[in-house]
Amino acid sequence: MMTKAFTVARWEYVEKIKSKTFLITLFLMPIIMIGFGLLSGLLASQPDTGSKVIGIIDLSGAIGQPLAKYLEEHYRLPDGGPNYVLRPLEISEGVEMNQLKRQSDSLTANGEIEGYLIVGKSILTDTSVEYRSQNIGNLRVTERMSRAIRDLVIEQKLISQGLNPKLTKDLTRPIDLKTIKLSKSGKEEEAGFEKVFFTSYIFMMMMFFLVMTSGQLLVRSMLEEKSNRVVEVLMSSCSSTDLMAGKIIGLSGLGFTQIGFWAAIGIAISLNYAITMISIGSALLLLVYFVLGYLLYAAIFVAAGSPVSTEQEAQQITSYLTIVLILPIVLVIPILQDPNSLMVKVMTFIPLLTPTMMAMRIPIQMPSELEIILSIAILFFSMVGAVWIAGKIFRTAILVYGKRPTLPELFRILRTP
Amino acid sequence: MLLASHLRKEYANVVAVDDVSLEVKKGEIFGLLGPNGAGKTTTIRMILNIVPPDRGAVSVDGKPVVGLTRNFVGYLPEERGLYRKNKLLNAIIYFATLRGVGVAEAKRRAYEWLGRFDLLSYCDRKIEELSKGNQQKVQFIISVLHDPRLVILDEPFSGLDPVNQIVLKDVLSEMRQRGKAIVFSTHMMEQAEKLCEKICLINRGRVVLEGELAEVKQRFGKNTIHLEFDGDGTFLSALPGVKKSLVYENSAEIELDGRRTPGEMLREIVQTVNIRKFELREPSLQSIFLQTVGSETAPLIRSSQ
Repeated sequence: MMTKAFTVARWEYVEKIKSKTFLITLFLMPIIMIGFGLLSGLLASQPDTGSKVIGIIDLSGAIGQPLAKYLEEHYRLPDGGPNYVLRPLEISEGVEMNQLKRQSDSLTANGEIEGYLIVGKSILTDTSVEYRSQNIGNLRVTERMSRAIRDLVIEQKLISQGLNPKLTKDLTRPIDLKTIKLSKSGKEEEAGFEKVFFTSYIFMMMMFFLVMTSGQLLVRSMLEEKSNRVVEVLMSSCSSTDLMAGKIIGLSGLGFTQIGFWAAIGIAISLNYAITMISIGSALLLLVYFVLGYLLYAAIFVAAGSPVSTEQEAQQITSYLTIVLILPIVLVIPILQDPNSLMVKVMTFIPLLTPTMMAMRIPIQMPSELEIILSIAILFFSMVGAVWIAGKIFRTAILVYGKRPTLPELFRILRTP
Repeated sequence: MLLASHLRKEYANVVAVDDVSLEVKKGEIFGLLGPNGAGKTTTIRMILNIVPPDRGAVSVDGKPVVGLTRNFVGYLPEERGLYRKNKLLNAIIYFATLRGVGVAEAKRRAYEWLGRFDLLSYCDRKIEELSKGNQQKVQFIISVLHDPRLVILDEPFSGLDPVNQIVLKDVLSEMRQRGKAIVFSTHMMEQAEKLCEKICLINRGRVVLEGELAEVKQRFGKNTIHLEFDGDGTFLSALPGVKKSLVYENSAEIELDGRRTPGEMLREIVQTVNIRKFELREPSLQSIFLQTVGSETAPLIRSSQ
């Protein structure tokens, strides 16, 4: 009687989608994410509004002059004034280095200078420079200073070797390595590491959010019906299978609506960047893993969530399950480095990890057909098994209040027809 | 119509229901009675096919209940059983469609019932905003909207004011006339006495008493005095010739032990209190209940022996 399952699904979907909590999360989440993104982007790329005075103690005597010139040439404020003004801190005879540092430190403290550099005597050989400032978190300053000094040191070294410094720019230009991913048929697909990583990552995050949202919704809705005793009325109207299937379908629909909406916003913002670089075939294959894996997780949520009868227990259960979900995401980096390693191959066949493993492997290098068929079969049968077990537990546990079933009780539940 | 035979259910080494059989016919209000924890809810759950019995079987119109689409039954659980955050009309329609009624038809019937129970102005309210009595009415509507052949009501009168109690009673007798089988579970004996033709009393998972109400009462004999009076009635239970007695503020039920005639009793009682009514008939269901189930559950009973 699938019509009953769909009636349940429609109820779960329609009533929840109208709820304020859902709508708030739906719209607020992207606004917050975009807001944060924009804000931090804005702050990071905001040009300085006034010149920054940087002190320098140049013990080598070779860096001070050229650095001032370099900074003037490279970094300017929007109004055309210099972004950085270099202020040499006097090295007079008889003044101890420590004393000089103390003086300079107090200059920094009272805000006369942003910070100051100490260039060692032997800068050309040991290339070490000290930057002292109250604000060493200002990455832009430190990064620019270190690049400028590096460039200057290289230039001077080249000159001392009798080379034309103009050559240096040419010689030190970084190589632009284009990575071309070859598909099975040898066709080339332009897909850099970042893009592959991004595809896998998007897939995993989608899976994560979907399971988290609809998993939590599942646990909550079961808890609610249980504490209201609505479940008894429901069970007198439809079978537990209909009820469970309806809940999974309806609440997954809700989850899909949510991530679909967010994904649409995400794609609209970062347009062309995502998704597009895997073939339709790979995408469909991933979809199979996605759906099977999702159902497996949903069944686990039902099995773990139906015996729960308080809000605290529900929280606990969802946080345990979250750990299982996060695990593959933690493993991303080692896997990406060598998608063909034995460890990865073994993990591919652990049903809970199969979808994420495949999400990482397929965009990088298509696994063999045998592996694909085998992993889908294992995932499919585990999913069916999990749904069957969840159905049994659900049928009994949803009517038990107050206590969680013990292991022997669970076994008895599973043995009853 | 409904036939349950030899039902047994065991939970974690506790026998909740043991060898309970009952039969409910069309056009009959059947009282499923018993103290709290007697096994009424478990019996109902087995009848509804929510919980499978360890032994025994349930059939409706000769067909085993296990294979049936569950549209034939309407169930009102004791207290709650309602979504709290959803709008009243939506919830009613949901349950009706879940039991095979079309949306338009469900809506039409919902308005009809809401009108009858004076709830039309609450249609778009959330259920949690309703008073307990009104929630109870909503729950009743949900259990009968799909016009089921069998209705199982667990304490349907709880929370209802006298006016609504009468409305509900009328609805129930109407349904009985239309040939519905009604199982009415309660521990309010007065209500059961007024409504049921047949009763089944369960205690500790077993049937301890069953049959036509009138016939059950006859079994307990006609030697019970029903008394209404003004004055202090505390002396009644201590009178000679009293076997058992239930004494309330202005009324009493006294079972005689046969050593003294009712007339003798009357003459003695008149001397102390002002009698408004004196009647000799079968004991009330309340007193039968207390006798059968045991006095430990009833602080009001005072045995003179």
